Amino acid sequence: MKKNLLAATAVLAVAAFALTGCRGSDEGGGGEGAPIVVGSVNTISGPATFPEASAAAKAVFDKFNDDGGLDGRMIEYKALDDKGDPASATAAAREIVGSDEAVAMVGSASLIECDLNADYYAQEGILSIPGIGVDTGCFDSENISPANVGPFNDMTLTLLYGSEELGLTDICVLLEIAGSTRPAYQAAIDRWTEITGKEPLYVDDTVPYGASDYTPYIVKAKQEGCKALAINPVEPDAIGQVKAANAQGWDDVTWLYLTSVYSENFAKAIDDAGAGIYVPAEFYPFTEENEINADWRSLMEENDIALTSFSQGGYLAATYFIEALKSIDGDVTRESVTAAVKGMDPVENPMVGDPYEFGVVPTAGWPIALKSGTNAWERVADDWFRIPAE
Amino acid sequence: MPLADRSWFRFTWPFAVAVVGIAVGYALSEGLSGYFVFLAVSAVTAAIAILGLGIITGSAGMIALCQLTFAAIGAWIVAGLSYIDAPGGFAVWLVLGGIGAGVVGILVGLPALRLRGVNLAVVTLGFAAAADVTLVQIQFPGSADGTAVHRPELFSSDRGYFFFSVIVLALCGLAVFFLQRGRWGTSWKAVAFSERGTASAGQSVPGAKLTAFAISAALGGISGGLIAGQVQLPFASSFTPLQSLALYVLAVMSGAYLIDMAIFGGILWVLVPELLKQWGIKLDWGFVIFGALGVQALTSGTNLGQGIRNLFYRRADKRRAAQAQAAGDAGGPASPSPELSPAGARISTTTVATLDPVADANAPVLVVDGLSVEFGALKALDDVSFEVPAGTIMGLIGPNGAGKSTFVDAISGFLPRHGGRVLLDGADLAGMSPTRRARQGLRRTYQQDRVPPSLTVEAYVRFVARRRLDRNEIEHTLAFFGCPPARSRLSSVDVGTRRLVEVAANVLAKPRLLILDEPAAGLSHEEHLALAVRLRDLPARFGISLVIIEHDLDLVRSVCPRLTVLDFGRVLASGPQTDVLEDPAVIRAYMGETELLQ
Amino acid sequence: MIEGALAGLAAGGLYAVLGVCLTLMARLVRVVNFAQAATGMFGGFCAVWLVTTAGLPIWLGSVIGILIGGLLAALIGWIAATWLSEASLTTRSAMTVGPLLLLISLSFILFGNKPQPFTPIIAGPAFRIGGVVISQVTLWTVGMALVVAVGVHFLLTKTRIGTQLRALSERPTTAELLGIRSRPLAISVWFVTGLISAIVIIIVAPSQSNDATSLSMLIVPAAAAALLGGFRRLDLAVVGGLVLGMLSGLVAQIDEVALIRNFLPFLFIVVLLLWTQRKEVWDAAR
Repeated sequence: MKKNLLAATAVLAVAAFALTGCRGSDEGGGGEGAPIVVGSVNTISGPATFPEASAAAKAVFDKFNDDGGLDGRMIEYKALDDKGDPASATAAAREIVGSDEAVAMVGSASLIECDLNADYYAQEGILSIPGIGVDTGCFDSENISPANVGPFNDMTLTLLYGSEELGLTDICVLLEIAGSTRPAYQAAIDRWTEITGKEPLYVDDTVPYGASDYTPYIVKAKQEGCKALAINPVEPDAIGQVKAANAQGWDDVTWLYLTSVYSENFAKAIDDAGAGIYVPAEFYPFTEENEINADWRSLMEENDIALTSFSQGGYLAATYFIEALKSIDGDVTRESVTAAVKGMDPVENPMVGDPYEFGVVPTAGWPIALKSGTNAWERVADDWFRIPAE
Repeated sequence: MPLADRSWFRFTWPFAVAVVGIAVGYALSEGLSGYFVFLAVSAVTAAIAILGLGIITGSAGMIALCQLTFAAIGAWIVAGLSYIDAPGGFAVWLVLGGIGAGVVGILVGLPALRLRGVNLAVVTLGFAAAADVTLVQIQFPGSADGTAVHRPELFSSDRGYFFFSVIVLALCGLAVFFLQRGRWGTSWKAVAFSERGTASAGQSVPGAKLTAFAISAALGGISGGLIAGQVQLPFASSFTPLQSLALYVLAVMSGAYLIDMAIFGGILWVLVPELLKQWGIKLDWGFVIFGALGVQALTSGTNLGQGIRNLFYRRADKRRAAQAQAAGDAGGPASPSPELSPAGARISTTTVATLDPVADANAPVLVVDGLSVEFGALKALDDVSFEVPAGTIMGLIGPNGAGKSTFVDAISGFLPRHGGRVLLDGADLAGMSPTRRARQGLRRTYQQDRVPPSLTVEAYVRFVARRRLDRNEIEHTLAFFGCPPARSRLSSVDVGTRRLVEVAANVLAKPRLLILDEPAAGLSHEEHLALAVRLRDLPARFGISLVIIEHDLDLVRSVCPRLTVLDFGRVLASGPQTDVLEDPAVIRAYMGETELLQ
Repeated sequence: MIEGALAGLAAGGLYAVLGVCLTLMARLVRVVNFAQAATGMFGGFCAVWLVTTAGLPIWLGSVIGILIGGLLAALIGWIAATWLSEASLTTRSAMTVGPLLLLISLSFILFGNKPQPFTPIIAGPAFRIGGVVISQVTLWTVGMALVVAVGVHFLLTKTRIGTQLRALSERPTTAELLGIRSRPLAISVWFVTGLISAIVIIIVAPSQSNDATSLSMLIVPAAAAALLGGFRRLDLAVVGGLVLGMLSGLVAQIDEVALIRNFLPFLFIVVLLLWTQRKEVWDAAR
């Protein structure tokens, strides 16, 4: 017992000292032939994870390096885990930007990091192209511009699709609110009202994240007379909600969900989708083989990365970044990268509806649907569905 | 006198340690790389939260699974005050956050007054889960529009903020150190060991429990306030119930009631995920490791900190024993010093206590009038009445099951529903809780061992006495009873001696009446006789009256001039010793005890 | 309002079954098993993996998953019986917090953290009251709670094993001295309750959120249900679970109490418990 205790404390002490980095350890960036350091902050562990975005970005960068890099200079990509914890997210940003002196953040996918790190990025003069932006900070910060449409525009899109294309009335909006998202979602709903003149039957913003049973909320919606439900859940909650409606025998409700539920896993889990589940996919639908996604698909399959919209986002973010890199004359530093990304011409890509321009939030989604008994997503339109311009 | 005993040293060395700690913190804040400075702030906040857990779980023995919820409350208050730009600056907001969390801690602790052990754990876990869902819904002030929490002006950079957090940690550590060493800390350890024992010492049990909750929640709140300043945009995901559980496990494993181990726990909280990250292992394994370590710690019954300390204690004890051997001390701690015993006193089996007519004429200190206690259909005490004149010793004897312990429990207030009256110095004790009766001057000792072994002799004695005592008085009384020196730990002393310490401590409280419940149990024959010598002397030396419950008739005969005999809850006889022992009813009850006929 | 209450009945049945398991464990083996739902969750996830990845038929996969859940619980019970056999209820319960953390994180590592595609064994509506449909799952869970409570009561009071179990719970060492083999008996209690919780989770998981954390944290409302009975009374545990579920459902529909709605059901139980225990000022031994 004595020996074990002393040994344990000794090992821990040594480990602690081995870890402490002293000030000024790493010198990154700059100089001819030195690698171009790029990083991302992602939620990779814990209950809700998005590892595919950074994995896809890494695959793109690895291929770029294999093809010779930028005139022989390789991209060194560092994807860190923030565990969904704000302290870790801020620490990770400081490691990448401060210690490793990255030139840009590319391919991040985190529940919280945009809001938390936006000021830090602005202060350090670094830009971030998240693969998938989730929280509001990703969409209203000058230094951050994600590759995806985002949940707020997606909400407007799904409401528009429901009311205009499907002709639904009595749409009820249920919101799972976390952090600062309530006003953003309200703005999204208001945009829909502005365009169509219609309003939701009611808005319930008290729906909890990760509840085990959504029956009370479903029962209430059914009794209020909702014909369609527009909700912003994560995948597990969406499954719970649909199952609750199934249990109640409510089979004529239409579900207007967001891209967060677009996955094969979700399709397999849902047998009874009521009158149908409709989602405006942020990127070109991938659940069927097609040419548009072929390059992305083969790259993902080579590297064993799951086929989800997250990996599409990471792939696109990395692709846009490489475009910007190629346009730089002279040294690749944080300043030159920032200027290049901000100043480059809009990048066209058939996987997205709008060309990518830093600072502009995309507004196009491709409508897809999951019908009862099919266990598979299908396209229900021939072109991108857009939010009409002001 | 060794350095450790001098009072100025005892008071100042914690401050010296704190100053050294702050200096180390400053050096680290300048020397570590930026990333590790940020990580170190997380270690400090975790250490403060674990410090709080050390009080509620380590010292006060209550399972609280909502420490991070208290942190969330602190963070909420700090974020709110920052949002409205309240005056005072970050330091003031932090203190207010701690106070707010402390108030909520008292509210959460109120069920603790009736719910114990696991019931309380469930209540705190439910509170944590409900608060987590609510927090996700209402968010933190300022998060709706992304307003960052303002850090303190002088410490706004990451390095400066780390230094600030080290200062806060040092202050919290100092506060906890002095609290643990003082009356509150002793009351927490006492209430963890025995609620009855705590109440009979005049300490309010609810008071002890609620102060434990308040302080530990306040520390949680301060930790949360620091987190709010660290990330500047707090989220509910920092304060989930699952993380509260992990923190609890870490606190138990490291032995968080020791301040240095709380800091170690904070470092572990950050170190384990960092190591996993460096080795490229998925961070989910972090909680797997904590879970396994927690099981190991709880099954082994000890924790890292206590284990290390026990090593040192054992070596110190060995050294002291060797020194005592070398100095030629005979007999060890249990023998009373001869010069303190009354001149020419020696007890033998034929010594008899004699009545003192002067003392007998005093007004009674205790009047028991018609005391009756019923448990259902069973009459444990039936119309018991007698008086104890002030300054005398009354012996209470009777066969097993006669109701003697019930009698003591009723008198000391643990059986509130009894018939009859009990008067102490003429004042009716009806309706008074055990704590109140103890403070009125009625003290008792226990048949079972109710002395918390986690205390030192001195801490326990001061706690029970409830009045200012100087060192000499303590040493004097301890020596009189033949107890170990004040600096000894009660855990290194055997049960019989512990109960002697209990007697000595209650004597030091200078009560009006002291009831001793089998004080000689667990002592050898020689020690019985030595104790009898002391007991005879108590009224004259300390001015207290005694009621002694004993089975050892030698001791009773030599110590108690007056006796009361109970049998089946009734008083068989009460009066001067010789009359009672010759009473035929008494002899019949004790039939077979031929010595009495001598 | 009534519809809201009935809507919460499904959850209530689940809480009742788990609450009965917890009460049973508390009475017989002197522990409140915080990992009760987590072991069931892990067994359920194993069952899903066996069915979807290993291709076993549903019934076989489920049975193996249930057994795994029981074995995990028995493993924790073995640890408790070997090293903590004389420890207090509090210490033994605190020990089970470790496996709770461990199992949740281990399931993230082994099974990922996307919701598991459970195939429902029981599904669909049973009958209708007012505007609310009572699902088959609800019937099954409430029924299970009642059957287990009644069955256990019968076992404990009328059979020989029951008497041995009760002796075991009060005085394990004395029971050993009387020739009752307390360790195997204790571990079998853990095993059986582990099986029951795995069964109920496999039944319920397909119809609700079924990720590792929310399933494991079912221990919180289950413990609240058992708390109503003071961890001693099975009937009150069943009532507590049902009432808790219905209250939560009812309160979810009232907008005015949106902020404190998460606290209301729990507060209800705590207040009720404090009321019933108001006379017990002093804990017997302490």
